[in-house]
Amino acid sequence: MTQRKRSFGSQSFSQNRRQPSSSGTQEDNEDSTFTQPSTSQVQRGLEKLTPAQVDQKTSEVIQYFLVKDQKKVPVRRADLVKHVVKDYRNIYPEIIKRAARTFEQVFGLKLVEIDPKNHTYILINNLEAADKPSPVECPANPKLGLLFVILGVTFMKGGVVRENVIWNTLKKLRVDSGEKHEEFGDVKRLVTEEFVRQRYLEYVRIPHTEPMEHEFRWGQRADMEVSKAKILEFMGQLHEQEPQIGRCWL
Amino acid sequence: MRKSRRNEEAPRQNGSADFETNPVGLQDGHDDNDTGRRREIRSKYRDLINTVQQNREDMLSPSTDKLTEVLEEANKLFKDVRRAREAALDAQLLVVATDLGKEKASQLFSEGSAFDPTAFAEHLLSFMGLNRLEDGDGGPQNAGAADGYLPRDAWHRLSRRVECCFRTAPSFHYMMGSFHAEPPAPKQRTERQRKAPTKEAKRIMPTQLKKMEESHQEATEKEVERILGYLKTYHQDDPTSPISYYEFVVDPNSFARTVENIFHTSFLIRDGLARMYLDSDKLPCIAPVEEGDVEAASSSSRKQCIISISPKIWKELIDTFEIKDSIIQPPEPHNE
Repeated sequence: MTQRKRSFGSQSFSQNRRQPSSSGTQEDNEDSTFTQPSTSQVQRGLEKLTPAQVDQKTSEVIQYFLVKDQKKVPVRRADLVKHVVKDYRNIYPEIIKRAARTFEQVFGLKLVEIDPKNHTYILINNLEAADKPSPVECPANPKLGLLFVILGVTFMKGGVVRENVIWNTLKKLRVDSGEKHEEFGDVKRLVTEEFVRQRYLEYVRIPHTEPMEHEFRWGQRADMEVSKAKILEFMGQLHEQEPQIGRCWL
Repeated sequence: MRKSRRNEEAPRQNGSADFETNPVGLQDGHDDNDTGRRREIRSKYRDLINTVQQNREDMLSPSTDKLTEVLEEANKLFKDVRRAREAALDAQLLVVATDLGKEKASQLFSEGSAFDPTAFAEHLLSFMGLNRLEDGDGGPQNAGAADGYLPRDAWHRLSRRVECCFRTAPSFHYMMGSFHAEPPAPKQRTERQRKAPTKEAKRIMPTQLKKMEESHQEATEKEVERILGYLKTYHQDDPTSPISYYEFVVDPNSFARTVENIFHTSFLIRDGLARMYLDSDKLPCIAPVEEGDVEAASSSSRKQCIISISPKIWKELIDTFEIKDSIIQPPEPHNE
């Protein structure tokens, strides 16, 4: 114990010990060994490196994020440190800060920590979404439509909805969770696994149900990425009514 | 859990059937009644739990009061509960009923907004361009769709419209694509290269064959005629003096040509166009056969001989006869 105190520095020791204990149970072993360095440590680390080295490492982190974003799966801090940051982990906060700034200024994207406990990040568009569909005829991902239906129904039902409601609604749209769909393939897997992994949805088990049932909620990514106002607007257009509904949950 | 309890109950039921017949309120009878009564209570609880679970959809509907009825029934039952086992069942019923109650409550909340997923789905289908069929206008495209079919780009249409609701970061992809573009190109090149040589090879072959055939037959005949020409010319120059055979065939510059000359000359003799004879010194001489003598010569007896020559003999001949030039000029090089 005393030895550790010396290596970390008396000031930062208590600060560092707190973090892993709170999140250690839920995270990877890798991350529990990674302790967020203090400002003084970061300063010292920066002094030892050339600006070019720090820029290079920042660029690598940015590229890692960009490629990982293709599948829309959130990036975990543990993976980032293990695969990219590696020896530069003592200046990790500085690297993240610079990466976020580059994303904003160069790419128009925002680096968001959607889970402060588990330290996972996603990239979202920093620019305001256009009011109307773009005039350019670019092919849209059909999965977006499916996701919209689920998010929309969940929203209108107060943010939580039993899975049966969703499956029944989809069935009316000719999307059967039990059959292979022409466009989406295995719908059940897409909705309960892929969308959940991407953090668009949450698929939570309802206790005390026999047989086992789940409910859908909005996921952390949906909370950041999706505009409830715009969904409401479109639904209003569909129903040709004034969108007064669901305002309480906004 | 329920099933195992039933199995437990069955033997007991049979066992205590005898006791049921005794309705008297004695101490023993009271206990027996108790057991029977408890069994009844448990059975009723289980029925209530079943009701709640099986008729869930019905009970959710705001129009029925079924949940309240179940709860009232449970209250009545609970009055007779004395032991833990029945109380446990009561607790289970409470959990199930509360769950249902919570859902009913949340439904009430959203009922105020009057959101109907069915109507929503109908509106979406219209938006996606569903073609609702008229009477009996099915056709082969209508496999499985009882009331209209969705166009192929239905979901694309919807996705495009809702894109603006999402602040998704555009995915990053390398402009040049993956590495897969490379391999096909080299394959094409090798194929082309292979094709070209085979064509040329074919072209070469026929011409070569033609040339060979020419040199085979015609060349020899031509040579023989040429040599005959030389012989005649040489003879006409000096018809009286004999032509030494060796002087005629030997080429001092080339042994191979000498052999060829001997070869060709032999044809002349075979065909009766020239004749060989020995002169006074017993040396062979050659002379062309006159026109008139040709038939006479063919009727006379033919003689055969084999001539052999080696480079050594060839050199000796050159030295002995002091042959400086060949009478038979070497053939034109185009044939070779």
